[in-house]
Amino acid sequence: MPQVKLRQSILEFSTYPPVGDDDWRYAFATARVRALETQMLPRATFQDMANAQSFENALDMLSAGQYAVPKGAAGFADIEEVLLQRRAEVRELFASLMIDESIVELFKSRDDFANLRLALRRALTDKPVGADYSPSGNVAPEVLEQAFAEENYAVLPGYVRRAAEAATINYYQDKDVRRIDYEIDRLQALHNIDEARRLGSIFLDGLFRTQVDLTNIRTLLRLKFTESEQIDVFLDGGFLEPAFYKHGLDLGYEAIGNLFFATPYQHLVEVGAGYLASNKSFLKTEGQCDRHLIGLLKSTAQITAGPQPIIAYLLMKEHEIRTIRLVLTAKKNSLDTRLILDRIA
Amino acid sequence: MSQIAIGIAFLGAAMAAFMAGIGSAVGIGIAGRSATGVLTEKPERYGQLFLQVVLPGTQGFYGFVIAFFAMGKISDFIASAAGLGISDALAVFSACLPIAFAGLLSAIHQGKTCAAGILMTAKRPEMAVKAGVLYAAMVEVYAVLGFLISLLILLAIEVPAAA
Repeated sequence: MPQVKLRQSILEFSTYPPVGDDDWRYAFATARVRALETQMLPRATFQDMANAQSFENALDMLSAGQYAVPKGAAGFADIEEVLLQRRAEVRELFASLMIDESIVELFKSRDDFANLRLALRRALTDKPVGADYSPSGNVAPEVLEQAFAEENYAVLPGYVRRAAEAATINYYQDKDVRRIDYEIDRLQALHNIDEARRLGSIFLDGLFRTQVDLTNIRTLLRLKFTESEQIDVFLDGGFLEPAFYKHGLDLGYEAIGNLFFATPYQHLVEVGAGYLASNKSFLKTEGQCDRHLIGLLKSTAQITAGPQPIIAYLLMKEHEIRTIRLVLTAKKNSLDTRLILDRIA
Repeated sequence: MSQIAIGIAFLGAAMAAFMAGIGSAVGIGIAGRSATGVLTEKPERYGQLFLQVVLPGTQGFYGFVIAFFAMGKISDFIASAAGLGISDALAVFSACLPIAFAGLLSAIHQGKTCAAGILMTAKRPEMAVKAGVLYAAMVEVYAVLGFLISLLILLAIEVPAAA
């Protein structure tokens, strides 16, 4: 990996942080994902699915492509199986195309943190640890189960062990299970950013810091809406400091957008806060955050060869799968079409 | 002294062939890897991609032609009454440099341009020639200029009559 200047400030870019330089070892892999990108569902398909008369009609729109559900099996469990299968395939492809094994491990750690969150919630609230953990992480589900059953965390990797210890201490402050999530979110964000810097990847650094900012924006609007007093839940490591968001809590919905005037997030905050004020809903905030992240991922189009387009493909494909699940779930539950359209980015 | 002169002149010819050849090999390697990536998913694009893969190969041929001319010139000098002097050898060596360096660098950059064109062709096949090939051909111009200057210098070197 080339040596790059990390720790960039938000004033160093306009809309999206820089994606870095070409890495010609990835010429084949980049070309392959570019070809695969042409098979991704266009935005119009999601809009058509949202506008479909019924759940069955929405499902029919997927029948010609890779998300086709086998005939005679139209239950939601079958659809979920197809979606999980596609997700497993895209993760497998990602692992096979990525030359830097550390990047694969970094993305697999997402599942480790998700599994840990589940296991800790169960263990600390005296429920059975269970066996329904994701097998896609760096830590095998059976190793995690064994660690919790025997209370021997030494078998876990350092980042999982540290997160388990910190989340447990945080939980016992006031025995609030949400503290487990806050602490794991915080440590996961820091782990991602630290790893990105260790790998010298300006793209991953920008991506993870943008994700932290978007999470903080969602948290800001949620805290504001629920008028919560808990203001120490903003994540560190983003382009904007937690103090910036804390200041936003004192402002009205109409003024929050202006607070973000010198940042790339002004439009999404304005739209999200306006929708929240008028509709008492976070749909537009979620949609706008997704749209911003997809915009960053699409900016990797300027890279002819490198890990950036492959990472972007993985994340865009996972987003596509989530959006299909979201639209179909909404149609199944006969949600208002306008609400679905407001949500999808 | 004449042995040193022959060595210098042949070094020029060799540089023209191997530097331009290395450039072409690297350029084709880059474009080829990109093309195989696209063909893995879209084998029907083979015809559209072929030209973009082979384009960086031309510099190797330019280097080969110049090396061939230079060797002819060296043979003529050796066969001449005066033989090959240091100044003649340096002239032949210098004549080979434009295509050696222009070929090396332009072929690598042309390979990268072709790789970008190949990625674009994967998504927008109708732009394969308009942008993919045309932009790569613009890089080719500077290899052609290097080739022409090398050729003109070689042709300008006068060889005395044979012994």
